[in-house]
Amino acid sequence: MATALSTAAPGQSVRSTERVVRAKRSTPFSYATLIIVSAVLCVPLVFVISIALSSDQTVNANTFTIIPREFHWENFTRVFGTELPMQRFLLNSVIISAGAVAGQVLSSGLVGYAFARLRAPGKNALFIIVIATMMIPSQITMIPQFLLFKELGWVNTYLPLIVPNFFSNAFNVFLVRQFVSRLPSEIDEAAMVDGLGFFGIYRRIMLPMLAPVLIAIGIFTLTATWGDFMGPLIYLNDESKMPLALGVQYITSTSQALQAPPWNLVMVGSILLTLPMILVYYLGQRYLYEMDISGGSAGVK
Amino acid sequence: MLRRREALWFYLFASPWIIGFVVFLLGPMIASVYISLTDWDSFTAPKWVGLDNYVRLLTDDPIFWKALWNTFYYAAVSVPLGLVIGLWLANLLNKGVRLRKLFRTLIYLPTLVPLVATAMIFKMVLAPSGPLNDALGLFGIPGPSWLLESVWVKPALILLSVWGAGGATVLLLAAMKGIPRELYEAAEVDGAGPVRQFWSITVPQLTPIIFFNLIMGLIGAFQVFSQVYILTKGGPDNASQTMVPLLFNEAFSFYHMGYASAISWLLFAVILVFTLIAFRTARRWVFYETEVK
Repeated sequence: MATALSTAAPGQSVRSTERVVRAKRSTPFSYATLIIVSAVLCVPLVFVISIALSSDQTVNANTFTIIPREFHWENFTRVFGTELPMQRFLLNSVIISAGAVAGQVLSSGLVGYAFARLRAPGKNALFIIVIATMMIPSQITMIPQFLLFKELGWVNTYLPLIVPNFFSNAFNVFLVRQFVSRLPSEIDEAAMVDGLGFFGIYRRIMLPMLAPVLIAIGIFTLTATWGDFMGPLIYLNDESKMPLALGVQYITSTSQALQAPPWNLVMVGSILLTLPMILVYYLGQRYLYEMDISGGSAGVK
Repeated sequence: MLRRREALWFYLFASPWIIGFVVFLLGPMIASVYISLTDWDSFTAPKWVGLDNYVRLLTDDPIFWKALWNTFYYAAVSVPLGLVIGLWLANLLNKGVRLRKLFRTLIYLPTLVPLVATAMIFKMVLAPSGPLNDALGLFGIPGPSWLLESVWVKPALILLSVWGAGGATVLLLAAMKGIPRELYEAAEVDGAGPVRQFWSITVPQLTPIIFFNLIMGLIGAFQVFSQVYILTKGGPDNASQTMVPLLFNEAFSFYHMGYASAISWLLFAVILVFTLIAFRTARRWVFYETEVK
């Protein structure tokens, strides 16, 4: 049994064991339930596609159907131009997210490594503070931070959304520290004997090994900033500076009272907002699962 | 000598976090305490009012109490409901179903949709003539105007949150795979049926991950913002007003910086109390293998 478990991922052996133990439990009822649940969960997504492909007349008459009836693919190109500045929103999203990801990845690796490996007086006390700060809701600092950035003249620029990321956050520091702690310390010692300094060890030995955890941090940061609504809502006023998440909402809230928002184009925007997340999930899921499970359960225990 | 050099490097490496902690957290926290004790519109000089903001919030602001109640209601229903559904789906998927990967993906898909897009989608799904009411119509039930009726607006927001229950499913499913198969085989030999196995093996083995989801879910639910702000702006009649949108409005629509800061500290207090309660009770129901070994 033990061998069967250890070859769980690639082997066929577990498959067959599983079948012996569980085969009688997968009933038609389970399938029916799964099919119904999946269908219900996917209805809103099909509906979005249907609305995105609707004509303006359908929008005005509010006669949408769940299954697409009309196929106005030109809606997907109409949003890039003068009608809606979706290209601008997208570019803004990319700038803000790229800045945030770069900031978190650069800083979390350094700080996490320091907490895991380097010895210094006061380190343990500092680490307790790192853990404690995870409990503080961001709303506590929201107003003073806004006032600070206003003093600096950074309101209505990307800076408040990017710069704080260069100072890392507690959760990411914790993730890196956990990851480094699991690496054998003989690696650093050998490098030190070879004459590398602390930065050399970090740069040449640690950084390559940290790749999985840094990729996971990059994905977490990207997902958080790409879909972030509150931050841009607080700091950005000009339509030309808004990221997609705010821009899409902005379009619906600014249309005239008598005139319905261009729902078909709004849904194209929602699809554009969602697609990168699906792509990131698809490409990055193996890193996420590793981090989620080990990081998660470690945090609770 | 080497020791001192190492310590120096530690502080150099950790400086991004240390500076960030002082500038973006500690400093703002102290400022927030001070601001919460003043009456301040952020344009003219702040006026010291002591605990007035807190007293007014707790004794003289019906909207605050309504928002607090709504936040509790939302957290108390959406978090357990999401967990139960997540657990149920994970258990279904964990049986030897074919096409498990496909079902898992379909169930997880809604979780990948950014909140703003989710809100846009549900604005249409929950419209009086939207697909949800159409579906209810098939059963002869006249659906309500979800987002426009004070009785139905909270259930509508909970529905939106349940749509993302697949996030918990994936986590729970991964944890289920880690449960030693011997436990089930032993139970089978002892004559335990699937239901008994679920309650006596699966659930206890999953309690650490259920607990983690519960804590994260509660903290997230107490801070719900985007959905409320985009879909209802807290209406109708504050029936969907929750703590963070209320705080946001006080700060950035009315420029009541002091009052809003006081709300943020009360929000912190609420989250802290609930997290502590959860950790306190955890000892009784969260099962760690290490305790048995």
